[in-house]
Amino acid sequence: MQLPIAVEDLHVQYRQKNGKIVDAVQGLSFAVQPGEVVGFLGPNGAGKSSTLKAMMGFLEPRQGKCDIFGLPSGSVEAKRRIGYLPEVALYYPFLTPLETLHFYGELQGMSGRTLRDETRSMLAQVGLEESSGKLNRNLSKGLLQRLGIAQALLGSPELLILDEVTSGLDPLGRRELRALLNERKSRGCTLFFSSHELAEVEMLCDRILVIHNGKFVEERNLGALREQIGRYALTFISRDFPKNTAQPPTDLGNGQFLARFANKKHLLEAISSVHGSGGQVLDVIAEEGSIEDYFIDTIERAA
Amino acid sequence: MVVLESIRRKDLWVVAILGFLVIASAGMLGIFGFQGLELFAKDLGFSVLSMFSTVVAVLTSTRVMPEELKQRTLYPLLARPISRFDLLVGKLLGSILVSWIGFLLLAAMTGIALLWFGVKFDLLTVQYLVAKMLGLVIVCSVGLTLSLCMTHAAGCTVSVRVAFASGLISRALILACASSSDGFRLLFKVLNGVLPAYGLFDLGGRAAYLHWSPVAPWVILALAAYMLIYSSSMLALAWIRFRRLAI
Repeated sequence: MQLPIAVEDLHVQYRQKNGKIVDAVQGLSFAVQPGEVVGFLGPNGAGKSSTLKAMMGFLEPRQGKCDIFGLPSGSVEAKRRIGYLPEVALYYPFLTPLETLHFYGELQGMSGRTLRDETRSMLAQVGLEESSGKLNRNLSKGLLQRLGIAQALLGSPELLILDEVTSGLDPLGRRELRALLNERKSRGCTLFFSSHELAEVEMLCDRILVIHNGKFVEERNLGALREQIGRYALTFISRDFPKNTAQPPTDLGNGQFLARFANKKHLLEAISSVHGSGGQVLDVIAEEGSIEDYFIDTIERAA
Repeated sequence: MVVLESIRRKDLWVVAILGFLVIASAGMLGIFGFQGLELFAKDLGFSVLSMFSTVVAVLTSTRVMPEELKQRTLYPLLARPISRFDLLVGKLLGSILVSWIGFLLLAAMTGIALLWFGVKFDLLTVQYLVAKMLGLVIVCSVGLTLSLCMTHAAGCTVSVRVAFASGLISRALILACASSSDGFRLLFKVLNGVLPAYGLFDLGGRAAYLHWSPVAPWVILALAAYMLIYSSSMLALAWIRFRRLAI
C-alpha cells in the first residue's frame, strides 16, 4: 500500500519583497502511514504552512519531493484523494455556504443527487444548516472556519491535510470538530494537521512531528510520550534520600520530604529504599505530564 | 462563477444602467426632433458600445486572478482536482462570457435607442457585433495575462491604454519604421506585430455609414483566426507565468 504522505529531503525557499531569500524548510523528511493521525507542531515561522503548501503543490520545492499516495504533490490525481483546509479560510464572499460546497463538490467530480445530499449532510455536520442561505461575507470567522472544514471533508477524501484546524472555533465548535475528525479516523481516513492547540493535538493524534526553523526536531508516538512526560511524586519520612530523583527532594517540614521521579521504575526503587532505611511512605501521586511543557522544552533545546 | 460574481458584485447592473442612459439620451434627441440624424446616432451608439464593452472586458479580465490571490480563495480552489491550466482557461472563458453578456446587454439597449431614430439594422450590423465580440476575446486574454505579470492596478491601466491606444501606437510604429535604420525597422515591425490589432475588430465606422455593403465572410473568418492565435499566445504566456507561481 502506498504511503499517504512521503516527504523526502524537502527544501523550500521564499524570496521576500526586499529580495532576501529565506529558507523556510530545510531538509525535512517524514512519512505518514495509512489511517494515522499525525500532528505537525512548531512555533510561528517554523515552516509548517510552507511544508503543507509544498505537499499541496502550491509552491515548488527547491530540492526534495513530496509524494501523496505515491503520486507527485500537486498532481490532479493526488488532489483527488485529498481534503485540504488552508490556514486562512476565505471563501467567495458573494456565495452562500450551500453554493460554496456545491461549487467545490462539482470540482471534485460530484453531481446530481449525490452532490445535493452530500452538501446538505456536510452543512448539518459542521453546524451550518441555519446559515446555509447567508452570503459568506456575512459569516463570522468561526462559521467560515466551519465552512472550510466542510469543504475539506466533502467527498470523503482518504487524506485530510488541515492547517491550523481549530483556528477561530469556540470550545463547542472544537468538540464538534474533534468528534467529526474521530469519526473520519474510525473510517480509516489519514489525518495530517498543524495546530497551536496542543490540547487538541493530544486528544486526536497518534504521533507528533516537531519542526523548528524549518528543520526537523523530533517525532514522537503520543502514547510513549505521555508515559515519558508523566511524573511520580513521593512524600516520605526518611533519613536517607532515595536515588534517581528528577530534582532534589523538597523539605516539607516535620521531617517530611517530597521527591519526583521521571518513571515508575525509579519510583519503585525509591519506595524500597525508604522502607529499607526504616522510613515511612506517606503518599504517592502519578502526575500527568503536560504536552505543552514537552513542546516548550523541545523547542528551547532545538533553539 | 465569474458570471455569478459579476451579477452579485453588480458589475452587470452598471452596464445595464449605462445602457439605460444611452436610451434616455437617444430619447432626449428624439424629443428635440433629431430623428433624421441616423448617421450621427449610429456612430455615437457604436462608439459608446465599443468603449463601455471594452472597459467591462478589461475590468473583468484583470480582476479575476488578482482577486483570487488577494482573497486567498485560490487555496481551496487549487486543492481540488483541477490543474492550474484548467483554472486559467476557466477564468479566461468566464471573463469572455461576462464581457459578451455585458456587450450584448449594451448592444440590445443601444439597438432599442437606435430604433427610436427609425434606424434599420442590416447584415453589416450583425458583422459589427460578431467582430466586436471576437475583439473582446483578445481584450480579455491580454487583461488576464497582464494581471499575472504586474499588480492589479498596473495590469488594468496598461490593458485600458493598449485597448484604446493600440491604433495610435501602431501608426506611430509604422511611421517610426519608415524613417529608421534596418535594425530598428525590424524592432518596430516586431513591436507592431506583438501589439493587438484591436482596430481590425471595430467595424463600427463602416456599420454607421449608410449604404455600405457588408464585408466578405472570409474577413470575419480571418478575424476569428487572428483572435484564436493571439488569445492562445496570451494564454500560453499567462500559463508560463502562473504554472510555477508560488501561492
